[in-house]
Amino acid sequence: MDVRAAGADVVLMDADDRLLTKVGIPASGGAVPPIQRVIACAVSRLGADPGRVTHATLSASRSMSDVLEQRAVSRVAVVRIGWPLTGAVPPLSTWPGELRRAVSAGACTVAGGVEYDGRMSAPLDETAIARFLHSVAGEADAVAIAGVFSPIDPGHELAAAAVVQRELGREVSISLSHEIGSLGLLGRENATVLNAALTRAAGKIGDELRAALAHESMDAEPFFAQNDGSVMALEHALRFPELALGGRAAAGMRGAAYLSGVGDAVVVSVGASSASVGILVNGYPRETDVPPEVEGIRMGFRAPAVAEISVGAGGQEFVTALHGAIARTWGAPAVLPLVVVGEGSDLVPEEVPGVSEVMRPAEGDVACAIGMTIAPVSGQADVIYADRGAPWARAVQEARSLAIGRAVVAGADPRRVDVVEVTELPLFSLLDPAIRVRVRASGPRM
Amino acid sequence: MRLDASNLGDYARGCALLGAGGGGGFDVGLLMALHAVEAHGPVALVGLDALPDASRVMLCGIAGSPAIADERIWSGDEGGRLLTAVEAHGSGGIGALMCLQIAGAGGVLPVTWAARLGLPLVDADARGRAFPRLQQQAMHLARIHAGPLVLTDSRSTVVVEAADGPWADRLAHGVASALGGMCAIALGSVSVAQARSAVISGTVSHAIEVGHARSGRGARDALGAVVLVEGRVIDLERGDGRGSAVVQTEGTGTRQLRLEFQSDYLIAIDDGAVCASVPDVICVVSAATGDPLAIERTRFDDRVVVIAWPAHELWRSSDGLSLAGPAAFGYDVDHVPLSHARS
Repeated sequence: MDVRAAGADVVLMDADDRLLTKVGIPASGGAVPPIQRVIACAVSRLGADPGRVTHATLSASRSMSDVLEQRAVSRVAVVRIGWPLTGAVPPLSTWPGELRRAVSAGACTVAGGVEYDGRMSAPLDETAIARFLHSVAGEADAVAIAGVFSPIDPGHELAAAAVVQRELGREVSISLSHEIGSLGLLGRENATVLNAALTRAAGKIGDELRAALAHESMDAEPFFAQNDGSVMALEHALRFPELALGGRAAAGMRGAAYLSGVGDAVVVSVGASSASVGILVNGYPRETDVPPEVEGIRMGFRAPAVAEISVGAGGQEFVTALHGAIARTWGAPAVLPLVVVGEGSDLVPEEVPGVSEVMRPAEGDVACAIGMTIAPVSGQADVIYADRGAPWARAVQEARSLAIGRAVVAGADPRRVDVVEVTELPLFSLLDPAIRVRVRASGPRM
Repeated sequence: MRLDASNLGDYARGCALLGAGGGGGFDVGLLMALHAVEAHGPVALVGLDALPDASRVMLCGIAGSPAIADERIWSGDEGGRLLTAVEAHGSGGIGALMCLQIAGAGGVLPVTWAARLGLPLVDADARGRAFPRLQQQAMHLARIHAGPLVLTDSRSTVVVEAADGPWADRLAHGVASALGGMCAIALGSVSVAQARSAVISGTVSHAIEVGHARSGRGARDALGAVVLVEGRVIDLERGDGRGSAVVQTEGTGTRQLRLEFQSDYLIAIDDGAVCASVPDVICVVSAATGDPLAIERTRFDDRVVVIAWPAHELWRSSDGLSLAGPAAFGYDVDHVPLSHARS
């Protein structure tokens, strides 16, 4: 179910990824159609037997953006671990004041953390954390915890989470930075706070989805589109709602890859008011080199490298903007094909400079919905290993196990999960050689 | 002139370019400086000519790996601790701060310290570019002893007396390593009169001008840089603190440029002949973004532009070359001045 401002596209596909039927549901009054209505419409117009639907996948990108725009966010208590250091840029000090006030229930920096080689800097000050939590107990719906060098050793973040559960109970949602981002304290902390801020909204969307499925007697497993072009089970999305941001754009690219049969291409997805341009590498959307920004704040999570351009009235102005976006995204005259999908694909001319050919696959108008329906579940590990005499091969092996484990937690069938991508980046800027290993594992849904 | 929100972005960008992208920690350094000037007011930028002869200047910066600050962000009060220790060791009151090294994060950090201390920053530095060894700075070249050496990470402060040259360098790096990979450093203080005779003037305002240029061409003009080659990285080898890269032009008439590096690019070899060498600055710029590519971020197949610009003349004297020329880095080649090279 591709839900967006202009309405919703729903597709029904069989176990061999063949499209059975599709339906478009118009928006009412410019608002995102409620999930209940989308599913009810789909059942009646697709003629699907609700009992036979096994998986239902939704893109929550639009809803999450709306939540943020309307400031319908959870109030987050922020715990940074690293005192007496890090004070030169306090938590959330780079956030615009109005957003900070809407999101933050308070912030503290406590002693603890580790050095770049995993050596403990200071014992975790659990008393200070407890004291801080008492002071914000009435205000905070969620807690974000970010510790210095936690991607190298998350121990203090885990211990701090235990303090939160003791003091505020097991119901409050906790976001731990080492599960959200890699090195770079500010970006990772910002992303963790944003994740925590979206947890209540994610819960509501999850409840609506479950209720809507139950109402139609549809016993389908609910999934959400993720920002890397894969999907994740509902439970995983409730803990990591930030993964759903960018999910729609990524799903469109996966759909384009699937429908066109190419793994490496430039993809443009043309909607009613805007078009997005991205690059497919090996069937997955290429990710940004620099951290993405949300409302001008650097967020240390991964995101598809997608350029947005306005459709406007179409015509030459749109074509020129498209050329510019393609050149910027690829950075050189590309020998890649251009795959055009989306309801407005007619606006792209037959001849586009800088690409080898222009492909318009059948069913491209529902590429997003198809992309999220056929996508596998994936889990990622992004870890740093400081060289402490351990052979790097073991580091890679540990990262692979972590990624596979996360894919399973996100809803992949454990019998069919495989590692699909391994990147090893030696880090030379630290004094002792260290290695950063990024692994993606994916598999079909359970 | 003042350093404030209107020009700190340009300044940080200029420091990054002057450092050829190496070291890391610029983004955090800039955010720190912006936060500090907002809280404490802008930092006055003063030329050495505008300060009284007897006034004392503290030479300060970073030892170790500045990229650690991307995680273990500074506290901001390192400058105050350095100053307290330097003044306590008998040199008298410090009237201004000066960057040990303008290039890289070491140019930006003293702005935060100056803002918090309410002191001006001198429009000068002791290197003009990035160098790895502590003694590779103008005071040492001029045989002016600036002491004591003070190191701090806001948790511990270490004062080292009567060490100079390579000994000070060894101790500084040992302390930085013990303090978690990075710490703040002060090379004591010098009088303005001493500084005037030795340092490189105008480098802070020069960095602002370089950073202000919005195009690659504009930045190269501001730096006085020439393009050595434009192409793809076709070979990259690293090991044991040094390495080499080969950049090959695309299209017809392929040329190859070989680059030798340690923590910075040091030698450029075109068709078997050295065409650029340290102390002149060699910088690899990403063709896609126009930003300098640090050695640790350069990858096989990257599309790059290799540029070079001359070092300040003080490094090209015979004393300067023995301290900072190719031989000082272990290369058995003579320095080839950039102006004589094929561009």
